[in-house]
Amino acid sequence: MIVCVAVVGHQNNPLYIQSFTEADDALKLHHIVHCSLDVVDERVNNPKKSGPTLNETFLGLLYPTENYKVYGYLTNTKVKFILVTTDLDVRDADVRNFFRRFHAAYVDAVSNPFHVPDKKITSRTFAERVSNIVKSFGLSSAG
Amino acid sequence: MEEYPEELRTPPVALISVVGCPELHSQISAHLHSEQPPTNTLALPDFSKISLFSKKKKDSESNPTSPHSSIGGILKRDWLLKHRTKIPAVLVALFRSEHVSGDPAHWLQVCSDLDSIKNVVRAKNIKLVIVVVHSDAHDDISEDRMIALRKRAEVDSKYVVIFNPDDTSELKQSLSRLGSTFAELANTYYRDEGRRIKTRIDKKNSNAIELNIRYCFKVAVYAEFRRDWVEALRFYEDAYHTLREIVGVSTRLPAVQRLVEIKTIAEQVHFKISTLLLHSGKIIEAVTWFHQHQASYRKMVGPPEAIFLHYEWMSRQFLVFGELLETSSKTIQGISSIVIGSSGKPFSEWECYPAYYYQLAAHYLKEKRSTFEVFARLLEQGDAFAMLPLTDEEYISYAVSEGKRFRDSIEIIALLKKAYELYSSLKVHRMGSFCGFQIAKEHYAEGDVSNAKKIFGGIASLYRQEGWVTLLWEVLGYLRECSRKNGSVKDFVEYSLEMAALPVSSDTDVQRDCGPAGPANLMQRISIHKEVFEIIGEVSGSASIEDTCDMKITKEKPLHLEIDIVSPLRLVLLASVAFHEQTIKPGSSASITVSLLSQLPGTIEIEKLEIHFNQSDCNFFIVNAQIPQSAEVNDVQGHRVEIAPSLLLASNKWLRLTYEIKSDQSGKLECLSVIAKLGPHLTICCRAESPASMSDLPLWKFEDRVQTFPVKDPVLALSGQKASQVEEPDPEVDLHLGASGPALVGEIFMVPVTVVSKGHAVYSGELKINLVDVRGGGLFSPRETEPFSMDSHHVELLGISGPEGEDESQLDSDDIKRIQQSFGLISVPFLQNGDSCHHHMLPIRQVPLLLSRIKEVPDSDQSASLPLNETNILIVSAKNCSEVPLRLKSMSIDVEDDATERACSIRHGDEDFTSPALLVPGEEFKKVFSVISDNNISKLSLGTVCLRWRRDLGIEEQSDSSGTVPWVVSEQKLPDVKMELPPLIVSLECPPYAILGDPFTYYVKIRNQTQLLQEIKFSLGDAQSFVLSGCHNDIFFVLPKSDHVLSYNLVPLASGMQQLPRFTMTAVRYSAGFQPSISASSVFVFPSKPHFEMAASSNNGVKLVATE
Repeated sequence: MIVCVAVVGHQNNPLYIQSFTEADDALKLHHIVHCSLDVVDERVNNPKKSGPTLNETFLGLLYPTENYKVYGYLTNTKVKFILVTTDLDVRDADVRNFFRRFHAAYVDAVSNPFHVPDKKITSRTFAERVSNIVKSFGLSSAG
Repeated sequence: MEEYPEELRTPPVALISVVGCPELHSQISAHLHSEQPPTNTLALPDFSKISLFSKKKKDSESNPTSPHSSIGGILKRDWLLKHRTKIPAVLVALFRSEHVSGDPAHWLQVCSDLDSIKNVVRAKNIKLVIVVVHSDAHDDISEDRMIALRKRAEVDSKYVVIFNPDDTSELKQSLSRLGSTFAELANTYYRDEGRRIKTRIDKKNSNAIELNIRYCFKVAVYAEFRRDWVEALRFYEDAYHTLREIVGVSTRLPAVQRLVEIKTIAEQVHFKISTLLLHSGKIIEAVTWFHQHQASYRKMVGPPEAIFLHYEWMSRQFLVFGELLETSSKTIQGISSIVIGSSGKPFSEWECYPAYYYQLAAHYLKEKRSTFEVFARLLEQGDAFAMLPLTDEEYISYAVSEGKRFRDSIEIIALLKKAYELYSSLKVHRMGSFCGFQIAKEHYAEGDVSNAKKIFGGIASLYRQEGWVTLLWEVLGYLRECSRKNGSVKDFVEYSLEMAALPVSSDTDVQRDCGPAGPANLMQRISIHKEVFEIIGEVSGSASIEDTCDMKITKEKPLHLEIDIVSPLRLVLLASVAFHEQTIKPGSSASITVSLLSQLPGTIEIEKLEIHFNQSDCNFFIVNAQIPQSAEVNDVQGHRVEIAPSLLLASNKWLRLTYEIKSDQSGKLECLSVIAKLGPHLTICCRAESPASMSDLPLWKFEDRVQTFPVKDPVLALSGQKASQVEEPDPEVDLHLGASGPALVGEIFMVPVTVVSKGHAVYSGELKINLVDVRGGGLFSPRETEPFSMDSHHVELLGISGPEGEDESQLDSDDIKRIQQSFGLISVPFLQNGDSCHHHMLPIRQVPLLLSRIKEVPDSDQSASLPLNETNILIVSAKNCSEVPLRLKSMSIDVEDDATERACSIRHGDEDFTSPALLVPGEEFKKVFSVISDNNISKLSLGTVCLRWRRDLGIEEQSDSSGTVPWVVSEQKLPDVKMELPPLIVSLECPPYAILGDPFTYYVKIRNQTQLLQEIKFSLGDAQSFVLSGCHNDIFFVLPKSDHVLSYNLVPLASGMQQLPRFTMTAVRYSAGFQPSISASSVFVFPSKPHFEMAASSNNGVKLVATE
């Protein structure tokens, strides 16, 4: 289950962060997302480590933490997407698929002429779309 | 890792035991220990002690065949220790040679010793080595005795060794021989033991799966003794996997203890595996292995009352692996060199950082603490000890009492600190901050407020910088509470204000579990806002809320906050100041707009605003009319006070105040700060910011909201500055210098200087004039000018002329008031206020400043020669090289004064022209002079050309006044010429013009002026335009002092300027040739006979000189 998704801007500031848990750990998830930016930086600054994934937007598993796994995605405009999941066995293809759909939703949201770049995304449509994508995570491949 | 027993942490070392000859033991054991690989030695002083091994044997004998029901546990607690310190692989019996070869009593003793040794050794498969020690080099043991000894001991012959400690030369060799023998036997022992146990595994006694694990473990340990790491690893892994199988299967022990046992074994086996993997440099395998390990045991939390044991265990797993990784990564030159493959790997490179493991160890320890606290409380509440007779409960209560002695907090802080330091060294700041945050939280929970505050403060700045508002909110909440506990009012107010101004709203999904900060929403912001303003608003005398009794702001301790452009409190109050004009006239008033913005959720009322400038005279105060001002507020040392109807600052709304400002002091006028008085004892000093260069509000800049400007005027909003320039006051006396272009050399040049009075009348004054040499001579005033230095300056200040119009005659150069050169000051007479101007004309004469611009005539040849006694034509041309039209009055050649020495006569027309000739720029004026020299001197000085000229006056040229303008005289010395007496003179004579078709005669006259006969060769060429009669070539003689004339008849065939036939001649005596120039031998041919009014000059002859 996806517990948190985030869009992080150029100054590593959160543009959109939404958690999907019943528990009171939203703040903890914010901490996890913030810490994962270190891993993104590391990946981006030392591209040789990731070898074949040099020009890929999908950054893969960033790091596992106590009960979560954190995945990252870096768009060509250097906006970061972070995904936190509680699933232990996550298929790469699912995560890729998720990020692809999330990216499309993000592009649509920022293409709104009333959206100011580098400001938080407050679009309700975007939030609904993200919530749908989150709900359907892993279903397509399972079914 | 330190809590593991020594035998588990270090690789096992083979053990041998020596008995007999105790004086040699230390030597042998020292040698064996220094061997590579080392061997430990267990020294027994005499043979009676070997029964130690046999006693153990009895204990251990009972196990192998016993049924599984009696199994005490999976591993026996001190089995490993026993094999490392108590049970040797090899027993070395030392016998003295004299005992072996000596009298029968000794021999019998040896035999009995051997028998007892054999008993012990056989039962345990311990290998035996007999060492015969020679006391001196000479004694020798008979072959029979040796064989007897070997047979008695029942050992192979190579295990009976002779050792001679006194033979120092061979001591080293014999010691190493002993060592290798021992090592070989020890290896055999451990291999045999391993094989023995392995056969038990192969039998696969399915009932005793625990035993299987034990056997695997033993085999692995034996392999380790033999340094067979591969086999050791294999069997440890077998043991680990087998252990997984008994989870949930075994029923041997009560549930909690069973799980504890399994996990303890798993931990130990895993530790061994990790150590072996890391020592062989297989970091990725080790990490993968750990990954699986923690994944498979993570869920085995056990019954709820023992859950804290699980977390403690988990924490230890992470800690130990982190430590292993840290020690091994020191030897394996850093993680960064390891290439983590593609994203297909189940883990990220982050799992190679030890810090990651420390962090998680701390996390699990915290979990442990929280579960432990819950459980311990439950246990204490009930009558636990009496009610729970079962062993598991007893175990738990034992564990709880043990756990109580343990200070988790210190341990957690230590772990996090380790992680924090490692992350910091890797420059991983966010993870590090998160660790720091957890440390600080621990400190806070422990009541160590000052430490907590320090760390929280550092973290807050990172979150501020990156705009993580929710995280900042949480940290600020802690900081606020720390300040409250510290009793630091200023910090408390600052943190409270910052929190209240943070952009958190109800749609932030962090509503619970935020620590002391409370939920991150607008309601909480408002309540914080109210709380802080209650503190501020409190009057010192009134009763305070008990919570904040030490949070009072009193009259004695008023609170003053500074907000600069990098302060996080810019959110709370932002002051923007804009002057409406970029420049201000002194004394006149200009508008200034002070705009204030606050992001606090509620409206705040400002009592008083102080606007401070760099010119303190301009400071002014704005007071709120709504609030009655105390006397001291009104008493503002002469400063201007404006009264505003109200000073309410609403959330996120600019409060714009426009006032007039006046400055009398020129220079920069800059607004420095705006001080707002918010309560009786709180003032906030805001650095003034310019709207043009104002940076966005931190944190709020990421919010999606309408941009507002501090000033309504859009131009001012983008370009307004907090500083303005106060201009210099207008001049009261003006001085103009009006010169019309460049002066010419030798000219008397007028420079008008105008003194204008503007402000008020000038009663008297002085004017000092300095001349500056533009060539870099520097400033000089006429006063400083010494007569002898005038030459170098070339410019002379002649004097002044009076005011124009006062007296016309003053323009006359003769009437210029002479001023003293040594006194360059001019007195200024009385001037009416605002009255007209007063002119001083300052004629300046320039002497040879532009000398180089008088060009010499291009064809003036310095080495020109003139024939003696002949008439020569001299043409002097003057060209206007300046940029203004000039009038030329006269051109003359002044001969040298000493007329007696006159060598020539120069004739020309009138010296003065009737009307001065106008020369426009670039125009040339020519005048012809004829020079006749009659004196027989070799060098002739022609004299000096003298020009009289002046600037063209334009229209005034015709007026009477032009007569008074002085003429400039320029002189130029003509070059000297040589005079020579020519030996031959050739004259070409033809009419001044010819008419087409009319014949004329062309004479060539050659005069011999010498006393000698001259032979002349000549030739005459043909010409296209003429028909010619006469001889072409000839040689003839000219008599001394006589002429020879050649005459030709020519008929012109073409009109226009025509070239006459070319005449060339050679004087044979001087072998000098002569050819006239082309211009000298041409004639103009008219098409028909012209009609001249005046008679043409008949003499067109050109005298030419044949030079040698």
